[in-house]
Formats: sequence, structure tokens, C-alpha cells
Amino acid sequence: MFNFSSVVLQVPFDTTSLISVFWIGFIVITFFYQTRLQSYLALNDISRGLNKLKVMKDKSRKEAIEYLVSVGKAPNDPTQRVDQFLDYVTIMPVDIDPAGLVGKIDHVVTTNNDRVRAEVGALLSQNNPVTVSISENLLEVATSLNMIHKIVRHFYLLGKKTNSYFTLIQLQMLMPMIIQEADALLNAVDSFKMGQPVGDGIGPVVVSKLMAGKEKRVVAKDTVMSMTEYKGRKLYVLKADGPMAYVGQPGVAIRKVVEEMGVKPSAIVMIDAALKLEGEKTGEIAEGVGAAIGGIGVEKFQIEEVATKNSIPLYAILVKQSILEAITVMRKEIAEAADKVTQVLNRVIEEKTKEGDEVLVAGIGNTLGVAQ
Amino acid sequence: MSSVPGADKKSKLLVYSIEECPVCGQKTKRAFVVGDYVTKEAAKCTKCSNQTRVSLVYAESSKPSG
Repeated sequence: MFNFSSVVLQVPFDTTSLISVFWIGFIVITFFYQTRLQSYLALNDISRGLNKLKVMKDKSRKEAIEYLVSVGKAPNDPTQRVDQFLDYVTIMPVDIDPAGLVGKIDHVVTTNNDRVRAEVGALLSQNNPVTVSISENLLEVATSLNMIHKIVRHFYLLGKKTNSYFTLIQLQMLMPMIIQEADALLNAVDSFKMGQPVGDGIGPVVVSKLMAGKEKRVVAKDTVMSMTEYKGRKLYVLKADGPMAYVGQPGVAIRKVVEEMGVKPSAIVMIDAALKLEGEKTGEIAEGVGAAIGGIGVEKFQIEEVATKNSIPLYAILVKQSILEAITVMRKEIAEAADKVTQVLNRVIEEKTKEGDEVLVAGIGNTLGVAQ
Repeated sequence: MSSVPGADKKSKLLVYSIEECPVCGQKTKRAFVVGDYVTKEAAKCTKCSNQTRVSLVYAESSKPSG
């Protein structure tokens, strides 16, 4: 008769065999359950990131409400109105027929901007333009963080519900960059509340020096222009109206100057902040051609269109910085680039135009804390 | 003095306003105060008594560089 116990006793259970059995078991388990294990780790990782985003979102909302009450002197508790504001959506136009799309986007965005300013104005018991513009920016930051949190939460819950390994892994890989952007937005709150110039305002800083002491005229919504001279050239310099936290409408302004005021510029020079690549130094200056302006693309389209139609060369001077540096208080390296940018601007004007020419110079960016 | 966290989270950034005399070019660095903005009229120049203006507002790390 077969004796099982005698067979077992004959199997050599030495240490090497035990380790081999363990490894074979480990390989079998990881072969079948690897994705489940990784999904579990990804869920934990995303959950921690999501909690951080929630803290950031709540903090920015609280800061915005506090600013409206303490500085804006809101007569009533603005909490409920702010919460409604955070969930307000802007529906972009349909793009299956792209003809005239930029005009439609411009219309929707302008309507939204006007609505935001009107609502913020109604919340406050004062109409100081600096306070109103800072309130607008604080609410925009809170809205952005609210939206980031909602989108991340959506994919986290969707991945969890459907047990989708690839959804969770993609989200886990993106989380460090999402947190970095959210952190930059939250840090911007302090600079906005204090009315300090941000890194993005380097273009307006350079242009404000050219405008100092000159007569200003409004050429588009929140956008002002002055005339000055440099080595026999007539300069038309424009920027957003500071020290409010405005970006203005440089596209509309340039079109008006060229097509309605009859100015025939030999060159348009745009000065703006540009996102640096990792490894590049903050405050480095880059030159180039083309419309140096970010945003949704409406202003860029308008500038490119008027430049192309009138055969005006577009030159760009860019100051490199990270996203954090662009939306928080201006760093020394960026501020000190202003004089170098002026030298580059003068050289570009001298090289690309001749005496008697007209030149349009635009300082692009948020002009908080930078008057003219 | 206004201060914000630095990029590395360990250092604090201190914010300064630079007052510049348009006549003699003398620059004075002082702590930023709420209400300061670029081109704002500031104190009289200590060298030539002309009206100075805020020419820059920037932040630098509280950690000594280098």
C-alpha cells in the first residue's frame, strides 16, 4: 500500500529547496496578481495626492473669501456666491466648422470676463480697480484649483470603480506634475493679495520705463498706449493698464493702432515671459520672431492676422522662467533682466528699422503692481 | 516685511522695493510695503533731493547665496 508519509519524509526539505519553493510561489502570485497589486499602490498614491489637492482648493477658496471681506469690505457674507462662482462653466463654441472660430471664442471669453468683473464688483462695497482686479484673480485661482481637484477625483473614482489599471497608472504618473502646477497656483495667492508684481509682468515692467512721464491713452479694454522716440524712430508702446492685475487686450490694441489710427509700423516688437525648459536659467533672455503671447490663442491670432495683412515683421524678446516663477512674486533674476531686455530692444530697433520709421512695442503679461 | 515660501520650500523669499532717482540714478533698496508698485512716487533722493520712483519690486531668497 502507498504510504504518503514515507514519500513526504523522503523529500529533501533543505534551505535551498525552501527558497526555491518561495520564489516559484512569488513568481506565480506576481504573474497573476501584479496588476492588482500595482493598482492598489496607485490608488493609495493618487488618494494622497487628491487629499493634497483638496487642502489646496479649500485654502484658495478661504483666502479669496477672506480678501473679499477684509480688503474688499463685502457688505454681505460672500461665501455662497463664491461657491456658485467656483462651479461656473464657460462653454467653448463648436469646432466642427472651424471657420470664424476665433471670433466665437473671443466672444465667449469676453462675455465671461465681463460677467466676472461685474459679479466681483457687485460683491464688494468699493470699486477700487486694483482691489476688484485682485479679487478677480483670486477667484480665478480658486476656480482653477477647484477644477483640477474635480477632474483628478473623477478619474480616481472612475479607475477605482472600473478597476481600470491603465487609467490609474496614467493618473499616478501625472500626479507629480499636477501637484506642482496646483502648488504654483496656491503660491500665487500670496503675491496677488499683496499686489506684488509677478514674473509674468516682466514685459510690462520694461515697457513701463518707456511710458513713464508720457501721455497715456486707452486703446482697448484695460490697455494703454504712449508715444515716445528712440534714435529718430517713433515708438508706440503699449501694455495693460497697471497697477491692476490686468492682461489687457493687446490683440485688439495692435489692430486698432494699425488699422484705425493709421500707424504704419516697420516692426512690432513683443516682450513677454516664456516658460523655461528644465535646465535653463531663470531670467535668461531669448530672441525670436513671431507673436510672443500666451493665453487661449485669440490675441495671438489677432496679432498674427494684422501683421500678415500689413506685412509687418513680428519680433519677440522672451524672459525665461518656470510656471511657479511666472505667477508668483517676481524673482530678482527676472527683475534684473529688465535692463538687459531694454538693451536688446534698442538693438532690435536699430538693426531692423531706420530713422523716421514707426515701431510698435508691446509689453505682454499680467501688469499687477506695475503702473506706467 | 512681506515674505513668501521659496521654490525649494526651505528658504523664504523676502520682497524688496527699489527706489531710483531719475536725475542722479541713485538706487535705494527697502522692504516692500503693501501699496508699492512700479513707477510709484517714493521718498526724496538722499543725494540730490529729487523725487524718486519705485523702479522694481522683486523677491530674493533669505538664504545667503553661494
